[in-house]
Amino acid sequence: MSDNKKWYTLDLGLNKKTESSGSCGCGKTQGGCSSHKEIEKEEELSPEDFYEAAINASIGEERTRDGFEQVFDVKMDRRTAFKKLTASLLIGAGAISSCTSVVQDADGKEKAQIDWEEQFKGNYKLMTDEEKQGTVDRLMRSYELRTGKNISMTAENAEEDVLFGYAFNISKCQGYMNCVSACVEENNQDRNSEMQYIRIHEMKDGEGFKFDKADDNYYHEVPKEDHFYMGTQCFHCDNPPCVEVCPVQATWKEDDGLVVIDYDWCVGCRYCMAACPYDGRRFNWSKPEVPEAEVNKNQHYLGNRMRKKGVMEKCTFCVQRSRKGKNPACVEACPTGARIFGNLLDPKSTIRWVLENKKVFRLKEDLGTDPKFWYFMD
Amino acid sequence: MENKNLKYYFLLLLLVALCSCKGKEKYHSITDKIEAKQKPYHGNLSSEELLADTDLITVKEGEFTFLIPERKGQIKSFACIECHSKPLEQMSSFDGKRAHWDIKLNHANSETMNCATCHSPDNMNNLKTLTDQNVDFNLSYKVCAQCHSSQFEDWKGGAHGKKVAGWAPPRASMTCVNCHNPHNPSFETRWPVQFNTQTELERIEDLDH
Repeated sequence: MSDNKKWYTLDLGLNKKTESSGSCGCGKTQGGCSSHKEIEKEEELSPEDFYEAAINASIGEERTRDGFEQVFDVKMDRRTAFKKLTASLLIGAGAISSCTSVVQDADGKEKAQIDWEEQFKGNYKLMTDEEKQGTVDRLMRSYELRTGKNISMTAENAEEDVLFGYAFNISKCQGYMNCVSACVEENNQDRNSEMQYIRIHEMKDGEGFKFDKADDNYYHEVPKEDHFYMGTQCFHCDNPPCVEVCPVQATWKEDDGLVVIDYDWCVGCRYCMAACPYDGRRFNWSKPEVPEAEVNKNQHYLGNRMRKKGVMEKCTFCVQRSRKGKNPACVEACPTGARIFGNLLDPKSTIRWVLENKKVFRLKEDLGTDPKFWYFMD
Repeated sequence: MENKNLKYYFLLLLLVALCSCKGKEKYHSITDKIEAKQKPYHGNLSSEELLADTDLITVKEGEFTFLIPERKGQIKSFACIECHSKPLEQMSSFDGKRAHWDIKLNHANSETMNCATCHSPDNMNNLKTLTDQNVDFNLSYKVCAQCHSSQFEDWKGGAHGKKVAGWAPPRASMTCVNCHNPHNPSFETRWPVQFNTQTELERIEDLDH
């Protein structure tokens, strides 16, 4: 258990006995045992055992097992087994017909092989570095096979002693929206639905933050008289509610504070979209399309690589840039210097100076989400 | 009997205590976390490579040391004395094409500022302060800082102005004149660079929230 800690679990130093109490005593491994049994047990269980049993009843073996095992190594009844067998036979038949067919060339077979391996890979956050590199290599090769063009995709992990934070100067923003278009170009967002991570809200002076009265799609000369502008995007909360609600753990917080999504693990339930109090998340209702010439080919697995239909996406503080030491595209594009990005753990960083010397605030602080995105004024 | 109840209470308390701290991190807020884990960054990432193509100079202002873009190489007609070989009075009688015809001073008002507030007629190659000290064109922020002291403080700390390249050290900031035209320093109004037609459609169809 302790050597297998790649994900965020309830860890209070009590997990050492995990293996001894494998299941919850009622014999079932799935679905959990009914609650009255737990209460009966409580008398003879120590709090640690009770805690373990409760965890096992809820997520059980998924804690220790990765993609392939989760799919295939499951105890189930005959009915479910037949159902799954039929489904996998269908998939298998399709895959075999495409990869063994005599009419198909080597490229086609390689493509089928890649598709197969991609289909059954595990959750990114549980992968070792080699596995991460493996999937990135497959995705690059797959793109090359499909389009004939090369992309560069990386899988850098979070850098040590780095925690990313962002500050936004509401007295400097003029509403030019250079950040919005830079973001779209950098992150390969769908051009048809005009998906945008950043929204710039035009608010009337003297009325406070009234998002319902603000306009986030204005088109007139800016800055407009008697108005100010504030931008919202994903705030990369330190206590992110979107991560809590994800039923498949397809979204999580990395060590450098970035809240990221494994687009290949997301099932598109949009719970996270509902849970986010800041409207930070976007859903791909259709297949995202970017003209080949406009595709940003410097990609990161967790960042701006091409998404598919039916998955969530959002601002990643341009993980493909920030983990190389660059500023996110919005910061670089802003002509007013209203956007400040940096390492919160470095006492000499400019973001720290802003937090310590300016009057900063965050949106909806009372929710306890702890966003790493501060607003300030001159 | 009493003993047993007490045991239950204790158990309950323990459970509540266990469940109240979720996540493996024991910080109650981001500020606690920053305080506990902060340390000067000496990691693998650096902006040096990104800054390689920019001509920079190091400035030291109080506790802050950082880079700003070199300026003199960017001014088209520098050095000034290449033309200003004679005193101004003699040159003003010259009736050919005027050199600085495009410069109209739109900075404060004429009671406060004129050309000679920043430029010295006797020393064209340098700027000057209000007390006639010379200031190198590369360090023109010193001239601006005389009046704009609060902006200067913010700029030194990093709250005002854009950064060059990345977040990783070494820090490089744009200097005042990289964004503000010193003769006309305020920003013009202009049109936003984009308009979202899909959002507009949703609005027309009353689909947005």
